[in-house]
Amino acid sequence: MGRNTIRIAPLLLAGVIALGLPLAVRSATYLHILVLLYLYAYLTTSWNLVGGFAGVLPLGHAAFVGIGAYTSTVLSLQYGISPWIGMIIGGILATIVGVIIGLPTFKMRGAYFALATIAFAEGIRVMVENIDNLGPFRLNGPRGLQIPPLKTGFLNFMFATKEPYYYIILFMLAGVLLLTYAISRSKLGHYLVAGGEEPEAAMALGVNVARAKLIAMAISSFLTAFAGTFWAQFTLFIHPKSVMSLDISFEIAFIALIGGRGSIAGPVLGALLLRPVSDLSRIYFGAKLPGLHLIIFGVVLILVMLYQPRGLQEPLTRAYRSITKKLFGHTEAA
Amino acid sequence: MRERNIWWKAYVCVLAFAFVCPMAFLVDRPASAQPKVVKVGNILPLSGPSASVGQQNKYSQDMAIEEINAAGGIKSLGGAKITMFYADSESKPEKGVAEAERLINTEKVHLLTGCWNSAVTYPTTAVAERYGIPFIVPVSVADKITEQGFKTVFRIAAKDSWWTRDQFVFINDLQKEFNMKVGTLAFVYENGDWGKGFAAGWNKLAEKGGYKVVLDEPYPSTATDMSPLAQKIKRANPDVLLLVSNAADAILITNTMAEYKVKPKAIIASGGGHADPSFLKAAGKNAQHIFDIVEWETDVNKPGVQEINQKFKSKYGYNLAGESVDAYIAMYVMVDALERAKSLDPKAIRDALAKTKLTKGPAMIAGYDAIEFDETGQNKYAALVMVQINDIGKGMERISVWPKGARRTGYKPVFPIP
Amino acid sequence: MMPVTGGLPTGVRQRPQLEGWMLFILEDTINGILMGSIYGLAALGLTVIFGVLKVINFAHGSLLMVGMYVAYWAVILTGLHPYLALVIVVPVMFLFGYFLQDIIIKPIFKAEKDVREPITVIIVTTGVWYILDNLSLLVFGPQYRNIQDNPLRGKMLEVVGMLLSVPKLWGFFAALLTAVAIYWFFQKTRTGRAIRATSLDREAASLQGINQYKVYNLAVGIGTAVAGIAGVSLVPFYNIFPSVGVLFDIKCFIIVVLGGLGSIGGALLGGMIIGVVESVGAQFMAATWTEAIVYGLFLVFLFLKPSGLFGVKYEW
Repeated sequence: MGRNTIRIAPLLLAGVIALGLPLAVRSATYLHILVLLYLYAYLTTSWNLVGGFAGVLPLGHAAFVGIGAYTSTVLSLQYGISPWIGMIIGGILATIVGVIIGLPTFKMRGAYFALATIAFAEGIRVMVENIDNLGPFRLNGPRGLQIPPLKTGFLNFMFATKEPYYYIILFMLAGVLLLTYAISRSKLGHYLVAGGEEPEAAMALGVNVARAKLIAMAISSFLTAFAGTFWAQFTLFIHPKSVMSLDISFEIAFIALIGGRGSIAGPVLGALLLRPVSDLSRIYFGAKLPGLHLIIFGVVLILVMLYQPRGLQEPLTRAYRSITKKLFGHTEAA
Repeated sequence: MRERNIWWKAYVCVLAFAFVCPMAFLVDRPASAQPKVVKVGNILPLSGPSASVGQQNKYSQDMAIEEINAAGGIKSLGGAKITMFYADSESKPEKGVAEAERLINTEKVHLLTGCWNSAVTYPTTAVAERYGIPFIVPVSVADKITEQGFKTVFRIAAKDSWWTRDQFVFINDLQKEFNMKVGTLAFVYENGDWGKGFAAGWNKLAEKGGYKVVLDEPYPSTATDMSPLAQKIKRANPDVLLLVSNAADAILITNTMAEYKVKPKAIIASGGGHADPSFLKAAGKNAQHIFDIVEWETDVNKPGVQEINQKFKSKYGYNLAGESVDAYIAMYVMVDALERAKSLDPKAIRDALAKTKLTKGPAMIAGYDAIEFDETGQNKYAALVMVQINDIGKGMERISVWPKGARRTGYKPVFPIP
Repeated sequence: MMPVTGGLPTGVRQRPQLEGWMLFILEDTINGILMGSIYGLAALGLTVIFGVLKVINFAHGSLLMVGMYVAYWAVILTGLHPYLALVIVVPVMFLFGYFLQDIIIKPIFKAEKDVREPITVIIVTTGVWYILDNLSLLVFGPQYRNIQDNPLRGKMLEVVGMLLSVPKLWGFFAALLTAVAIYWFFQKTRTGRAIRATSLDREAASLQGINQYKVYNLAVGIGTAVAGIAGVSLVPFYNIFPSVGVLFDIKCFIIVVLGGLGSIGGALLGGMIIGVVESVGAQFMAATWTEAIVYGLFLVFLFLKPSGLFGVKYEW
């Protein structure tokens, strides 16, 4: 068995299962949970470009989600522009904001950077919460915007059932994973990793670390904004606390960290493990013991960090490699 | 290396769990095949900032359902009992929407009620409409909830434009009764859906009534210090202060205003936080003379009010409030509709609800005399009551003062605040 | 410039005589300083922990909440004057913080010895935050509590026509005293100096025979104890509920950065600045905008003077 076959086979298998799942899962609720799972996997993978490869800890990515959501929603509600186009415009806006944020903050290290991203994200959220009308655009402040579920169709990015949403987010996820893979193999990817681990050495070698980080930020914010548009079209209601809150930024970062940032599979694994914990514990315990699901989440968080700080993907990858070794004989050093 | 083996096993377990989890979704729980049971889904804020009012709603609904089931359930459905499913919205709209989906698709409820926070109710009713499941809204007041053109939404409480309208009529009546003019108004409100909705209504009514608005101040419900706000109110020196607050900020504002000796001629609150029993307990004497508009008060002069309130109080330790009464009433409205629908088909239940003409029974502990829904699903007869908080010898209590017909006998409202 | 409507400065329109107006600003400023000193006190605990361990302790707000509940129960059960309850609160909180660090956070430090920025500690403290907040929701219930009849509630001091809140005045003095005590501890006592040494250079300090982990335990213990003092200051006039810590959490971070990592005076001063901005700013615009201003101020500081007012810029 060639090395490549071993690597690709499970991916193909996962892909086939993912494509076929909606046929087996009839319940709209579970499809809904799966869609959210993929959405978070998408968000964490996009975040990973900055938080994983560039080696910093951005805790304000929800701002980009919000920018994407509001841009496409306002444009479609007020001007009838298709949310797909709104999605691209939202992405561009988010990129601009991301670069503006990145320019001064990338010079900072660690805790300062994290705090700066929090401050930016919260600042933007507070502003949107207080502004009813930004010029000709109606933002509606804290009351949020509701998208009437009346005209369905691909162009309107509006569907009556969950399946189309499922496939859209699945493709978005696959796309972003491929992109991450491509970047990790490219010069940009190597500059980022070098810049993240040993910035002085990298700069001594002539790597423009700052520029690499900014590019990563630009791509990351662009992609994250797409998720915002998807969210708006899926839940049909957005308001600052639901699309731009600190909770979302934290959840994205922590899922990626638990899964293992800096790797490609890590964020997805994190989402696979944590989202069901969050959703299921809320469903089964939410009413009887309110808040219990957050306690469980906290405990899981701590346990994983105590025993596998580099993310769960590390032991899982090792286990996987040893299994394939046993099954298919030894391959060249993987 | 031995240590690692244990962890390895643990990780294989974690790995297995991670892959089994999504697979668990393939197993769809079968719908229960049992004797007829009416399943009702209830979405409430059971954690988060509105948790205490969410709990009160749950208690009053549970009490109603206990009574109904004990009395034999739904007779036209062969004595079918009602089962309540509760879901926690955490006051977040997206959670409310997700829970509605789950209750409808997995638990297969026949009806939904909820969600207390207008911001949660608004998008959640859209979910019910999509699936044709009737949705009874006991409490949320935002106008737009019944203005979406939906056929499955039925609201018990009055819309917020009625609340604001009645507040201004009351101001008018106060001026007439006490022969004193009110010229300036101040609006202070929580910076959410509810508060901003009221403020919009107030501004329009102020313009119509020729009042001068000296302060229009939204504040974040999570503010940690209300002194600047109290100062602002004091310096604006309004005749009447109108408030929309949740429990925590109501307490903080009232206490801070007392500390800074802020004394407009009258303070009119809008239910919600001010009607929460914890407000009276925490604000105590500082709350004296505040007017509050609610749909119900413990001294409403209707049969059964005292008994039902006593029953609730002995079970849970505090009085019913307007919102918990709405939730209680909603249960009886639901039962009445089920009896007439004679079926668990959502469309039949929906049609029965639309034809509701309830004038008797435990639902009538309401301050008004009938429940009937108009074409938008709004309870036509929902009316409001203005109370004043005062101590007339039995400790600080809420006393109905308006409309004149609902006023507690022998009590004269205090205006202006001494 | 796009016109922005909704929520922007409306505020007071009347114009009293000049003296009245200046009196108002003075009153607001003083009120801001008083409230801000309590913010500073809360942030003081954080700056000690941040300064020594070099990590973001996201659970600090929850520690404050725990401090408030401990103070609440101490007063309710013993009937003590809130500030006398310090006798109970401080040791309890110190032990709580000490063991929190020892049992939960230390293992991560040990594992991450070579990593420069202990990021996982940040995550773990967030886990602690979630757990503490929701555990107290489960155990204490969501209702808002306060100590209705305590000797400080609602008392105001009238000075030159201005009204000052007495409980906040007590908090102000508590903050000053605590700051002085902490300063003295770090400058004059052996243990304090050991902690400072470790915060400046971990390896060098351990070469001197200082047990790095014991130092961390002490630092977190002290920081938590200070949070307890802040809790006691708040309890006479504030509401106590499970999520009360969230409100203070971010504010504390902003203050710590503003004042400078590890700077005691900076924490107090930073707190007062925030307090004054909130208090005075609220008179000129809706309170909802002052939040944005605080963030803006924070960002300005981060870019122009990241070491804050008094801190030493830390490159790690």
